[in-house]
Amino acid sequence: MLEVRGLTAGYQGGDVIRDIGFHVDEGEAVMIIGSNGAGKTSLFRAVLGLLQPSSGNVVFQGEGISGLAAQRIARLGISFVPAERHLFPRMTVQDNLALGAYPNRPDPKTMKVVLDLFPRLAERRRQHAGTMSGGEQQMLAVGRALMSEPRLLVLDEPTTGLAPKLAAEAYQALRTLKGSGLTVLVAEQQVPLAMALSDRGYVLENGVISKEGTSAELAKDPDVRRSYLGIA
Amino acid sequence: MIANLLDGIVLGLQFGLLAGGLTLVYGLGGVLNLAYGQMAVLSAMAVVLSMEAGLAPIPAVAVGLLAGGLLGLLLDLTILRPVYRLQGEARVLLSLLLTLGMAFMVDGFLTWRYPTKALTLRIGGGPVEILGVRMVRGGVVASVITILVLSGLLLFFRKTTLGRAIRSVIEDEQGARLVGIDPQRMLRLILVLTGVLAALVAVTRSLVTPVAVTAGFELTVSALIVTVVGGLGSVGGAILAGILLGIISTFAASSIGTVLSLIILLVAAAVTILIRPSGLLGVKE
Repeated sequence: MLEVRGLTAGYQGGDVIRDIGFHVDEGEAVMIIGSNGAGKTSLFRAVLGLLQPSSGNVVFQGEGISGLAAQRIARLGISFVPAERHLFPRMTVQDNLALGAYPNRPDPKTMKVVLDLFPRLAERRRQHAGTMSGGEQQMLAVGRALMSEPRLLVLDEPTTGLAPKLAAEAYQALRTLKGSGLTVLVAEQQVPLAMALSDRGYVLENGVISKEGTSAELAKDPDVRRSYLGIA
Repeated sequence: MIANLLDGIVLGLQFGLLAGGLTLVYGLGGVLNLAYGQMAVLSAMAVVLSMEAGLAPIPAVAVGLLAGGLLGLLLDLTILRPVYRLQGEARVLLSLLLTLGMAFMVDGFLTWRYPTKALTLRIGGGPVEILGVRMVRGGVVASVITILVLSGLLLFFRKTTLGRAIRSVIEDEQGARLVGIDPQRMLRLILVLTGVLAALVAVTRSLVTPVAVTAGFELTVSALIVTVVGGLGSVGGAILAGILLGIISTFAASSIGTVLSLIILLVAAAVTILIRPSGLLGVKE
């Protein structure tokens, strides 16, 4: 469904990610794990059109999308939830969700699915997004991303700033979504949570992919265990 | 007392409409359009020339509104191109310099070509009595039009998908792109819309007082003051600040004279900025 080949991108100071290749198949959940500064965010920004790659290819459902503007990519069926969320703070929960369906009017059925998944949002429909707690904002960011009925949901560190209980809840919601057939790509530092969700994973270190495998394989890998699972 | 208050509201509503356009463009695109008053004056001249060419007032006004919209589009397609390549403060600064240069050129051209022209639209019929005060009919009509347009604008931004999309760009540009909104297209749209608003300000103002070819800078400065007091990027703030400053300005003009009233306006603006740097309804940075 999504295939990335030889992707290199960075900022003026030099390349942050180099020659990255990975793929996500329909119905899968795939994780990209790595420590802070490994390049996870730059990788996602380059895949989603927020950062111009200097070379490489991104193919989504057979169509080359590298170099397209983020707003074009968003309309092709990929929804991205960035770590900073980028909600519309002085707009209501309802309006934030409605804009997720842009340029269409929000579909009541999709709205119901989202509000059933996150009942907290239903209780707070008229509240401004900026006044909500971190956990609620994360729910809203995911909810907004779902309103366009994407084929692929991409999340950058969805647990950023969340207490452990809320982080676990966020992943519970992702499991539900995956169970309903949605393809999920997630970058995460909290590896155990991501590992429980994902079928496969890639390890990103200093801007290159150093390891890949099924979640079970990675869980057994001594380097992964030491660096990311805290097991000696 | 009540007469001053009502006159102040008439003026203030126009301030609000004027500042609304400026604040939207700034909030949406980080572009400060200092040729905004000149856009209003050029539109007014389009009305004058159309009427001189034999058009009836209402079609001539339509030509003026169209001209305002086209001027906004022209701005987007020409001198703002290099501005769009910059970000942050550099972007604001370049837009300010380019549009200011544009404003001087337009003023120069107009005073050379049409030194004595002014737009004056008259509405027949005697004064209207409101709260026991006899008001000039033109002022009342101008205010009714302005209130309708401002309400329409607020409804558009709150209730329509396109209006919400425009607000979302002001709220968080990257968030807007992530849901599939093209900020550049929204900015073009808003430049056209505010061009029409500038024309509308010229038209409604001409119902109260003549709009001369030299009125551009005064309009821009008033809009800037109101925008700063109301809070950048907030249409509601612009309306609120417009009405407040309109009332202050009218009271000052009637009690200590017109010249000092502009100073009083500036003082009011300075005090607001000292107390609330982000303006009445602005976002706190």
